[in-house]
This record gives sequence, structure tokens and C-alpha cells, in this order.
Amino acid sequence: MIKNKFSIMTHVVAGYPDMDTCRELILTMADSGVSLIEIQIPFSDPMADGPTIMEASQKALDNGVTVSDCFELVASVRDKVNIPLLFMSYVNIPFRYGMEAFVKECSRVGIDGLIIPDVPFDERLDYVSLVKGKGICPIQVVSPDMEDSRLKDVISQSEGFVYTTLKVGITGAMKEISEEGKQFVRRLKGYTKLPVLAGFGISSKEHVEQLRGISDGAVIGSHVINLFNSSGTIGVRNFLSSVQ
Amino acid sequence: MNSYFGQFGGRFVPEMLIPALDELEKCYEASIKEEGFHAELANLFNNYVGRPSPLYYAENLTKMLGGAKVYLKLESLNHTGAHKINNAVGQALLAKRMGKKYLIAETGAGQHGVATATVAAKVGMKCKVFMGEVDIKRQYPNVFSMKLLGAEVVSVKYGTRTLKDAVNAAFKYWIENLDDTYYLLGSALGPHPYPTIVRDFQSVIGKEIRQQMEDKEGRMPDVCIACVGGGSNAIGMFSDFINDGVRLIGVEAGGTGNKIGEHAARLSVGTPTEGIVQGYRSYFLQNEDGQLSDTHSISAGLDYAGIGPEHAYLHKAKRVEYVSVSDQETLDAFKLLSLTEGIIPALESSHAVAYALKEAPKLSKDKIVVVNISGRGDKDIFITAKALDNDNWKKFLTNETISPPDPLSTSRSTQNKEGEDKNVI
Ligand SMILES: Cc1ncc(COP(=O)(O)O)c(C=O)c1O
Repeated sequence: MIKNKFSIMTHVVAGYPDMDTCRELILTMADSGVSLIEIQIPFSDPMADGPTIMEASQKALDNGVTVSDCFELVASVRDKVNIPLLFMSYVNIPFRYGMEAFVKECSRVGIDGLIIPDVPFDERLDYVSLVKGKGICPIQVVSPDMEDSRLKDVISQSEGFVYTTLKVGITGAMKEISEEGKQFVRRLKGYTKLPVLAGFGISSKEHVEQLRGISDGAVIGSHVINLFNSSGTIGVRNFLSSVQ
Repeated sequence: MNSYFGQFGGRFVPEMLIPALDELEKCYEASIKEEGFHAELANLFNNYVGRPSPLYYAENLTKMLGGAKVYLKLESLNHTGAHKINNAVGQALLAKRMGKKYLIAETGAGQHGVATATVAAKVGMKCKVFMGEVDIKRQYPNVFSMKLLGAEVVSVKYGTRTLKDAVNAAFKYWIENLDDTYYLLGSALGPHPYPTIVRDFQSVIGKEIRQQMEDKEGRMPDVCIACVGGGSNAIGMFSDFINDGVRLIGVEAGGTGNKIGEHAARLSVGTPTEGIVQGYRSYFLQNEDGQLSDTHSISAGLDYAGIGPEHAYLHKAKRVEYVSVSDQETLDAFKLLSLTEGIIPALESSHAVAYALKEAPKLSKDKIVVVNISGRGDKDIFITAKALDNDNWKKFLTNETISPPDPLSTSRSTQNKEGEDKNVI
């Protein structure tokens, strides 16, 4: 899933600010050299999200975005971009849809990975085995306060790459990346051969530069949404070109 | 500890929260093995909360209804006016043992917020309470009390701006402040171990009922009735009777109608739908896509889209009957209990009373019904006075607001940009 170069994964909320603009954003991101795109299916109660993504999700829901709209969004861009597209959402979305049916739809529209941060690997809801053999990677999210033994267990369940947060906190742009976060990425790299992508709080070219040589890539979420809000698709394109 | 009730419950949270939940579970398991912990809790229950709360024979009501004998369990007489304090006291002791400095809580009606602010003051911890903007408007007396008790009340201005959003806000804050902060969750819901811990601290209600019934009647009750928001007063009342033949009835908020958005009845209106939200698997009011629905109830404390996982289990196992009563039936019951017994119940508890009014007359005179009066009704004056005495209430409010400011008052109010209403009293 990850090529042999430092990868940037960006984030969009499906249907934000509206479906057409969201589609255009995905195409712009792919065109600006982004390596993967994480498409968030908006949820009414996003526990791990800060104000930026929460407001975007609320706006999308207010616009009437449905889960099937999100599948159609992916279907409509799938042929136009040749990078992996991942779905991120909270568990109630696939659970209510029916886990199996959801995975089947993901396969149909060409989703490459699933990020569901509120299903710990040892919980009684095994979507990891559901996606096995379907070309969909279950991406596990880890964070700096995890105990070593648990961390190793989670990593053993991972495919594609490991997604680590750089802080113990919710999503949202930050001024600095903590030393603790970087230290954790180094520790993590010692535990796994999979690429490690680091995110939560990345909000400048400098942050991305700081991660080169430490992680295998950076996840930029709230910051691209903030950029879009302040300077539109052009602003997003300019920023992404500058971090390649 | 078992984290599931049948298929319900679990611990569906981001990895970041797992260490904190593990720490809580360990602390709880160790504490309940210590005599010292039980002694400390009993001391606070008896001398601070005012336990045991009376089990009161409602003779006038019983005569009026002409059926089963009706007893009322008066959690309304607890310190701070509701059952919420039982759980707040217990969890605050755990927080102390874990060495935390700050308590945070969500609140709907404001009762749990007041209970948490109260114990925070008592044990010397700082306190922050998250409350939906809608609830802040309708529960002003409790907002005032929380501030008086030294807590900061944070207005939650997103989503439906009610209890569920307050829970979200509390979790988010907790994730960002795990080191020194403890989340004192107010109902029998959320990720494991909360549903179990909250039930255990509230189970004092049912245990006392058993003892008091034994003393007064020499037997067990036939029926227990409680209102169900998140489910803590109900599970606290029921848990001691689950393995006995007692009929258990949970009353949900029927609101103004059966359409989505008009009620908060997760189990008793329409077909319950399973979900996994706010850390636990249970039944939720949600749309076909799994988005939580708007809910409505005249009582803020029952206005919530989810229900504790043990209730989901007891529903599925058909051990507890879940029913609902409307806003109007609730108001009628509120008035009736005030008139017949001189007891003004909380609007939440009035739901349980309303169902008892329907059920007791159907039962023979040798049966005994116990209704949990989970709280008292003072806090609801902005709703009840408006609903029952609108003209005078409006006159009163108008007079209050147009009169010149009291020169002796030192109140001032500031709003910071996060939207936190930081009133310094
Ligand atoms: C007096 C009273 N009763 C009942 C409830 C409902 O909560 P639970 O179902 O957890 O008992 C509340 C909640 O705020 C309350 O204040």
C-alpha cells in the first residue's frame, strides 16, 4: 500500500463542504502528489475528533450526506486517481450498515483500507478477519501511552501500515510536534517492518520535515480542512505541492 | 471483570483511553476487596449523603388508586436531591485513590453535575462539568448550584446540545487530560468498567429496599418501578432483585409522540436498534445510517439516545419490562404526587410515578409496588411552573428581570471565546 518514499496521507470528510467540492478536493490532492487519502464517513458523535473535523462532519450531515453517498463518492473518483483510498469512520457506521455488507460495498467501490479508531483489536467485533483476502487493509491506530505488550499485539494485527498518533489527544492542528511523539515513532519502528505513518496535530511544512527520517509518512487531517476553509482548493494544492 | 452483559457493553474506545480504563478497573477491583474502602464509603453514605433513604408508605396515594400498596423509595431526600450522589461519592473515592486532581463530569438535568461538584468540594478536587447548551437553559437552578460549589460549567454547543453531546465533550476533554483528570461518569453506560461500577455504587438503593421491606412488611416487594435515562437509578434499584421473582419495570420518556425526535424511548417505542456508540454496545435511537437521532423529553435527565448496556441485556432476556409514558402523563403524575403526598418529585421520577398510577389499580390490595423517587422536583421549576402556572410564572420572571440590579450583588459574568460561561459568584 505504501511505496518506497515518504508518504503524505490527507483527510477529507465525505460531503464536506458538499459532494462536488469534496470530489474536486480528492482529485486535487491526488494530483498534488499525495500518496493516500483517508475519506471520513461523517458520524454524529465522533469521539476522537476535535473542532475542525467535528464541524465538517456536522456540516456534511446537515447537508444530508448518507453512507451510500459516501460509497458513490468513492466509486465516482476511483478510476480517476491511482492511489489508495481509505475509509475512516466510527464503528456505529459499519455496524449499523452490517459489517459484512459494509465490507462488501467497500470492495465493490475499490476501498483499499479501513480505519475504525473505536474498535480496539481485542474487542468482540472482529472486522479484521472480515476484510482478510478482500484487498482491504485493517489499519490499526496506536498512540504513545500504550503498554508495550499491548502495542505488540496490535501491531501483529496490522496490515498495510501502522497509523500512530503523535500525541495522546483528539484530532486538531497543533503548534508543535512533541518530542515524546517523535520518540514513540522511533520506538514503534523498532517493533514492526510495516511502514509507520504519524498524524494528529501536523499543521505545517516544518512539521512534515521534522518527521522525515523518523516515520515513513505523515497524516495531515485538520490542517488541510482549515486550509480549505481559509483559502479553498487552491490553498490546499499549494500547501501539498510544498510538502512533496 | 466481565466487560459484557450478554452481547452488550464492551469497551469501544480509541486505544488512547484503554490505559485509563484499565487503571480504573484495577483500582476498583482492589478497592472493593479492602474493608477500609467500604468503611469510608459507608461513612460518607450515612453521614454525608444521609443514607439510608426512607422507604415511605404512600397511604393517601394507595387509597386513591384502590389497588396495590404503594411505597416510595425517597432518593429525593439524599443530599443534593437525587440518587446521583451515591455514584459520585463512590467514584470520587476511586479518583482520590488513583491520585487524580481534577474531576470532570457530563450532566443532563444537572443533578449529576451538582453531585460531582459537591463531592469535588468535599474531597478537595477541582471540577469541570460539561453540559449541553439546551440543558443549561432549562436547568438554571442546577447550573447556579454547580458554580456556587466551585465547579466550572462548560456549555456544549454542538450536536443536539443535550446529554449525549455533554458525554462526547467530557470524553474529548478526558482524552486530552488523562494524567491528572478523572472522568466521573454519571450513569450506567459508557465503556467498561463504568456500567458495572455505577451499578454497584447505585445498588445500595435496591439493597436498602430489600431490608426496609423486610422490616416493614416481612417480605419482598412484588413490583419495582424506576425511570430509565441512562439507567443508573433503575439498575441500582433492580440489581438486588434480578435473581428473585420481583417484577421489574423501567419507564422511558415517551415525550410528545412516537415519531423520531419526539421521545427518548429506546426500547419501548418502535423496534429497538442495536448500535455501538460512546464506548458501548446497546440499543440506540438512530437513523438507518447509524447517526444518533434527536430525542425529546420534558425531563432533561431522560433525554438521551442510548441506554446502559445492562438494560439492553435485561430487555433482550425479557427480565425487565420497559414501557414509556408521555410528557403530559408525567406532568399529571407530578401534580398528583405533590397534592396527595406532599412530595414534589423530579420530572424524571415523575415518569415512574405516572406508570405506577396506571399499574397499581390493576393489582390486588395484597400486592406491593415500590416506586423509585430518584430525585426531587425543585430543579424543574422553570419547566413545571411554565407548564402549570404560565401566567404567574411569566409575571414573576418579568418582574425579576426588569427590576434594577441589586447593588449588593457581586455577580459578574464573562464569556470566553470557547463558549464557556464562566460565572464567578
Ligand atoms: C432525578 C433523576 N432521575 C433520573 C435520572 C436519569 O438517569 P438514570 O437513568 O441514570 O438514573 C436523572 C438524570 O439526570 C435524574 O436527575
